[in-house]
Amino acid sequence: MNLATLAIKNIRRNRLRTVLTVLGVAVAILSFVLLRTVLDAWNTGAEHAAQDRLATWHKVTFVMPLPKRYFEDVRQVPGVKKATYINWFGAKHPTRDREFFANMAVDHETFFDVYDDMVVPPAELAAWKQDRQGAIIGASLAKQFGWKVGDEVTLNGTIYAGEWKFRISGIYTAARRSVDQAQFVFHWDYMNESLPQGRKDQIGWITTSIDDAAKGGSIGTAIDKAFDEREIQTQTMSERALNSQFIGAASAILTALDIVSVVILVIMMLILGNTIAMGVRERTREYGVLLALGFRPGHIVSFVIGESLTVGFLGGLVGLGLSYPVVQQGMGRWLEENMGSWFPYFRIPALVSVGALVIAVMLGLVAALIPAWRASKLDAVEALRRLG
Amino acid sequence: MSEAEPIITLRGVNKTFTRGKEKLEVLNDLDLDIPKGSFEALMGPSGSGKTTLLNLIAGLDRPTKGKIDVAGKSISDLGDSELSRWRSQHIGFIFQHFNLIPVLTALENVELPLLLTKLPGPERKKRAATALRVVGLEDRMGHRPAQLSGGQEQRVGIARAIVHDPTILVADEPTGELDRHSADEILGLLTKLNQEFEKTILMVTHDPAAAERATIIRKLDKGQLV
Repeated sequence: MNLATLAIKNIRRNRLRTVLTVLGVAVAILSFVLLRTVLDAWNTGAEHAAQDRLATWHKVTFVMPLPKRYFEDVRQVPGVKKATYINWFGAKHPTRDREFFANMAVDHETFFDVYDDMVVPPAELAAWKQDRQGAIIGASLAKQFGWKVGDEVTLNGTIYAGEWKFRISGIYTAARRSVDQAQFVFHWDYMNESLPQGRKDQIGWITTSIDDAAKGGSIGTAIDKAFDEREIQTQTMSERALNSQFIGAASAILTALDIVSVVILVIMMLILGNTIAMGVRERTREYGVLLALGFRPGHIVSFVIGESLTVGFLGGLVGLGLSYPVVQQGMGRWLEENMGSWFPYFRIPALVSVGALVIAVMLGLVAALIPAWRASKLDAVEALRRLG
Repeated sequence: MSEAEPIITLRGVNKTFTRGKEKLEVLNDLDLDIPKGSFEALMGPSGSGKTTLLNLIAGLDRPTKGKIDVAGKSISDLGDSELSRWRSQHIGFIFQHFNLIPVLTALENVELPLLLTKLPGPERKKRAATALRVVGLEDRMGHRPAQLSGGQEQRVGIARAIVHDPTILVADEPTGELDRHSADEILGLLTKLNQEFEKTILMVTHDPAAAERATIIRKLDKGQLV
């Protein structure tokens, strides 16, 4: 036995209380890890978005279309390497219409040149280009609906009414964390040819990849300037700025999550502090005995802090141990597969894991400060008399 | 025995406690010499100042006025840390309520005072085992306090008090929680420690039968020896 084991033995004194406190800390850490992972996953889209891609749309609003001829004009702007055009299609699964997924009509010739972080096997890509009703879907979406290459699927149009029939030509995977793996893309021509004359040859937006990401601002300005004198003006923004703007719109929610994650830690600290304070109160006479035997107040402080640090550390470990199966393997996988549009990459960041453990230990320390201070002020005679 | 040189000397010792605005004088201008190797019983009614006197001699408390010398050291002049260190080397405590740590075994409880020394672990264990042997509990080393009788718990308490070979043993009502038979065993053990191991023992007691085992009986009343 030594002084450290004496401190640790105190933890075993009231096992039920210790187990419940460790579980309390573990649940707090699990909640903290979950919230921080949500925040991180939410920001992943912006952080990992392509810096060398610009999006150009109607200056008034995203939902108003651009004339298709603008596409050729954008391609001519100096600095633009590749370009493609896209329409938001907004169709739904006929029977599972509450399960959202992005579906878009895209230019089959250029789309995967610009979105080169969506990786399609070459044979499947070639087959898709040959099939006007062909569709390429993300791996998560394929898993979600059980679709595979060769399947014929029907979507119910909302913006473009009617039943739309497709054949799955290929499945893409992501080469970048920000890529939503639950998208459904098909030939723009297939959609366009089915539309009445007044709605033909209109596109939702143009995405360009540029030579130099550092010149994104000036190239974007040049694109918009090209349409300054035209009937419809445009607005161009980098993909990262676009994602940041989207995140900015949800900033109130993110701030709330941020605050809640801190509140959880404060609650955890109070629970731990209360448990430690109860232990100190119950052991007042024992501390009096130790002081009488020659132990100094510093020893008593070490016992109290040691106990709290150990409970905090154990709670942190259990919480982290639970976080991986619950947050990453369970929720994370489900979110990526079913809500890939919002959470394309839902994994616990290493920094959050390490941070959670460090925070658990540090909060253990802070939680022990007041009980330890009070224990250090104990007078041996008073302590022996109080409960003796 | 009474002619032996004093190991404890008190001169003009006063102890006053303050409770709110009220001042309570517990010890009043006390002079006392306790000879080395004596076994003294300190008796008196409740509130007479017995435990306060014991605490002052053991260095748990300080006098309001006066001087206390124990084993050639003026303990009334020591700082908190020095006093703690001095206590850990020179005083062995025996409590009325045994005050063992419930999560520790008998051996670990006895080893406690040695944690403050630089002795290596195996040596500490060896000495704790020896102390338990002296009190006749060599077969209860692995037992926790809850697995021991009251008399056995107090014997563990005595082993803890002697394990670091202190100069003086102070016992505050050591038989107060025990039945007559167990009390006699404990008193026999204290007598043995006094006679065979030449420990100076200062015992506070209400029990006349316990006091009879002492070589000197002192009576305290209203803060003064009578």
